[in-house]
Amino acid sequence: MRAAAWIAFDILREAAARRWFLAFAIVLSLIHLGILIGLRLEVVDGALAATRWFGTELGHDIRTADGVMHHVFEAATYVAFYGGLVFGVLACCDFGPDLLAPGRIEHLLSLPIRRLELLLGTFLVVMALCLIGTTYGAGGFFLILCAKSGVWTLRPLCAVYLASSAFFAVYALMLTSSVFVRSAALSAAAGGVVFVAGICAGQREQLAALFESGLQRQLFLALSSPLPRVSELAEAAAAIAVGQPAPPALGRLVLGTVLFGLAGLAVGAWRLEGKDF
Amino acid sequence: MSGTTANAPLAIAARGLTKSYGAGVRSRVAELWPARASSGSQRQALAGLDLQVPCGSAFGLIGVNGAGKTTFVKALLGVVLPSGGELRVLGGAPGDVAVRARIGYVPERLALPASWTASAYLRSVARLKRHDSAQRELTEAELACQLARVGLAGDAGRRIGQYSKGMRQRLALAAALLGQPDLLVLDEPTDGVDPLGRAEIRDLLLEERRRGATLFLNSHLLSETERMCDEIGILSQGKIVRQGSVRELCGAEGSWRARFAQGSADALSALGFEPLADGSYALRAETPLELDQRLAAARARGALLVELRPAARDLESVLAEVLGR
Repeated sequence: MRAAAWIAFDILREAAARRWFLAFAIVLSLIHLGILIGLRLEVVDGALAATRWFGTELGHDIRTADGVMHHVFEAATYVAFYGGLVFGVLACCDFGPDLLAPGRIEHLLSLPIRRLELLLGTFLVVMALCLIGTTYGAGGFFLILCAKSGVWTLRPLCAVYLASSAFFAVYALMLTSSVFVRSAALSAAAGGVVFVAGICAGQREQLAALFESGLQRQLFLALSSPLPRVSELAEAAAAIAVGQPAPPALGRLVLGTVLFGLAGLAVGAWRLEGKDF
Repeated sequence: MSGTTANAPLAIAARGLTKSYGAGVRSRVAELWPARASSGSQRQALAGLDLQVPCGSAFGLIGVNGAGKTTFVKALLGVVLPSGGELRVLGGAPGDVAVRARIGYVPERLALPASWTASAYLRSVARLKRHDSAQRELTEAELACQLARVGLAGDAGRRIGQYSKGMRQRLALAAALLGQPDLLVLDEPTDGVDPLGRAEIRDLLLEERRRGATLFLNSHLLSETERMCDEIGILSQGKIVRQGSVRELCGAEGSWRARFAQGSADALSALGFEPLADGSYALRAETPLELDQRLAAARARGALLVELRPAARDLESVLAEVLGR
């Protein structure tokens, strides 16, 4: 499995040269810089007396900094969670197709590397990029907010990492779809379907009520049961970010999401083993 | 087959090798649902190919487009999985990573990372080739030597995106040569390389052969194949239809072409020299003694010999003859 790590290392180096990722890093840095320079929070004895955005006052109400920051962290967690997933789907949809491109895959397969290691290497590098992006983007954002408000907490960052577990499942299906059909568009579509289906699956109890009781409802519940609970994970992340206790089902949610991803990867590995290039 | 390799162990051994594209799903459909089975859309790329390539030899595979050459090359590397038959490479299965560690491959078209330098690329390939060994990193000396061998010493720091096609091909060759492979599988290795570069690559490959490596060459450049290989196989419709040394295939045995500076055409014709359109003469002589005697007879009639060469056909005409074109 050492080869998988070397493949991941090489793909990471290639990714560093991609315009997409450079643009993403620049945009994130500009957002950080904008907030750092433009946002002024006047906190007096734990109360937020004034908020200014490039000199323009945004609110007069005096409220506890803690309370205001909870709302900010909650909103930011949702934005980072869903925005990060959508960006991940769009930015990473061509990693699999690129790896399987004619002229590249033949050369890679001629090296003493197992096919499974190729798949794992690609998957690992995307997960690493996801964690790096989350740490830099969300970490920087929350660090600035914490420093400006004086409300220090690691909870929002931990909450955003839950998005990585959702992306684990989403990207596993994207990569598997690339193994079946080498197409970046199809890979992105597969990611989009898992993303939307995961949102629905997170609300399956409420959505099931829209179906007539009986076969239709049971069918919907059965079909949605293996899907990752993306929206439930987002709600759990937001709850953690604002300091509420983690939902008791969080472990089960994460485990289910990871298992879904692993099952997807297993199908991809099976197909890759028997595929001609 | 050359005398030195006649009893050598086999680098490549294929027996009854078949490959049908689209066979996997359709054959299962045929098993489950015979009425729906159709063979019309199946494509047979290899149809019972038999081939033996001894270790240390240089084998050239030629054939027209669609003959199955690339499929066979990919099967050697485990990139394509055969539908039937038996294939052994360096004594093992092509899918075995230990076997692939002993193979160097130059693909027909290689997608190289445009943003990398040649040094970075070769280091990456070396790591992947040697990931199980203690010394997996390429040393500076090894890197410099490898780049110098393919004539890229001065371009090591340039990005691959700025390379010409010929330079990319040289880099692919440098990557294939890493780790002193026992078998070199070369799919159009001189494609895009200038004539002098071709000669350099040819010398390099012959050097590898002297080291003991087996060369398996798939090329449309028949002159390259003729110059480099001591055994050639003609592939047609997924089968080897003719195989032998260049001499055997091109039929030079006992046939000669002679050119004289002066001498009467009638006198030469009377001696059995057959005039050809280009001004030279064809003659047959089964032994060196017979050849010498006939040339001496021509000289005795005032003819001055300026050129004598075996009357071999080129591979192109052999290929055309074998394929009935």
